[in-house]
Amino acid sequence: MDMKKYQEENAEIQYKHRYWGWQIALYLFLGGFGGGVLFLTWITATFVFPQADLTQAFMLPNFIALLAIAFGLFCLVEELGQPPVFYRAYVTATSIIKWGAVLLTIASFGDLFWLLGNWSPDTPVLGFLCVFNFLGGASGLWLAAAGLSGFGIMVYTGVMLSTLKAHSFWSTPALPILFTVSALSTACAGIMLLMGGWPGVAADMHAAHEVHNLLHTCDIILVFAEITILLIMVLSFLGAGNRTQQRVAKRWVKGKTAPIFWIGMIGIGLVIPLICNISGLEGLATVASILVLCGGCLLRFLCVWSDDRQPLEGENRYYWRHKHANTDFVGQYVKSGKEMQRGQTFEYIDNLY
Amino acid sequence: MTRYAMAIDQRRCIGCHSCSVACRTWNELPIDIIYNPVLGGVAEGTWPNVHRNYLPTLCMHCKNPECVPCCPTGASQQDEDGVVWVDYKKCMGCKVCVNACPYGMRDTSHAVRRFDEFVRKCTFCKERREMEPGADPYCVQTCHQHARVFGDIDDPDSAISKLIGRSDTFRLLEELGTDPQIYYIPDLGGTR
Repeated sequence: MDMKKYQEENAEIQYKHRYWGWQIALYLFLGGFGGGVLFLTWITATFVFPQADLTQAFMLPNFIALLAIAFGLFCLVEELGQPPVFYRAYVTATSIIKWGAVLLTIASFGDLFWLLGNWSPDTPVLGFLCVFNFLGGASGLWLAAAGLSGFGIMVYTGVMLSTLKAHSFWSTPALPILFTVSALSTACAGIMLLMGGWPGVAADMHAAHEVHNLLHTCDIILVFAEITILLIMVLSFLGAGNRTQQRVAKRWVKGKTAPIFWIGMIGIGLVIPLICNISGLEGLATVASILVLCGGCLLRFLCVWSDDRQPLEGENRYYWRHKHANTDFVGQYVKSGKEMQRGQTFEYIDNLY
Repeated sequence: MTRYAMAIDQRRCIGCHSCSVACRTWNELPIDIIYNPVLGGVAEGTWPNVHRNYLPTLCMHCKNPECVPCCPTGASQQDEDGVVWVDYKKCMGCKVCVNACPYGMRDTSHAVRRFDEFVRKCTFCKERREMEPGADPYCVQTCHQHARVFGDIDDPDSAISKLIGRSDTFRLLEELGTDPQIYYIPDLGGTR
């Protein structure tokens, strides 16, 4: 065993900790984005501009939000060990995941019914869906249900991680706040990018322009707040966190993920969009919106992959030896073992050697 | 009321991994799953007063488990006797409990068929004790150094209560408030 190499690697890496894959990170991003769009649509259309008809202007953002939530849910189910029995998530009342599943379901159906209720027959190809326009009678109700549950989803994505106190980097009240602010900022960016783009139907572009200006201002504030919260969280972990928090923060600030954090998330994902938005130029606002969306996605990936747990004494050494001494054996076994019945283990090992 | 716990005497453990092998064999575990890894084994002290310290681990069967309330399907459960276990028929493999466990003592196997990955963990050999009341878990039965002692910690006459009562013990990550039910008797090295 190369102990020097072990010690070098061991300084930053915990070998047995990554249980959730990219699906969960993508789901958290898409769920937050979709929930944010629904929430902002409800707030804007109902309370900020109640006199304006913003329905057609918000059709495309809400349609994309529905697709985002649906694809996020698909990722979530795909990541399960047993996808066909995903419905079991609705069973218990105590689990935060259960509440997340309920909120996602209400948001999806609320948004779907709102879209169908306001579906225009002039929509290319899918104009026949206007047969569901009878749902439009309760349009306000569907939007309120979707908006309120959308707010719940934004908060829930961060709360879900922060309740897992085995992972010090997640287990902080700052994370739900960060995720909520990020979800709102990506939602602002998404709405600005997509508003009024529903094909074949003319929207009230004057009202839409006013909404665009409002969201533009909001996004500047939200991105600024996100930078502040993110830096305070990470730097306070670096300076005053426990050992696990310090190890992760060190990795973010000056370790292996520092380029992704500083250049990708802070630079490209937040600071450049902030400058673009402040500049007020039309073309740059579009670029800023796209970059904010990329930055939000990157944030979820970096957070989910910072799931370090305080290792037990000697744990890293144990799993490091597994990783380096048994990789080939376990790899071959796992690859072939998927077709193997329980109880055939010894026969398989005999055949392997 | 019965409250199962385990005491592990580090002074007796020689790091032979028999407990791991016994557990894996009796429970027919997939190759990438281990319920009770024996950690540690690094030389400590200064020559000539050196020794190796092993840390046999398993599910801590905490009194306040993190892994039970977070389960969205109710598959992760705790019996009245304190044993934390997973009902495989209810588990959907979301791995929330795996992430919630501060000790890393739960996992799903990737060596089984897709769509058949449920969370696995130590149950203090619950199935065996249901068939043979009073039987020890396989890891306890196998330990030839008698480093593991299993029993009812609420019974003052049980071997485990007496052992814990007369020894200095520590528990892992007590500061998290999970109240783990695995007690370690530390090996301080040499003849101390």
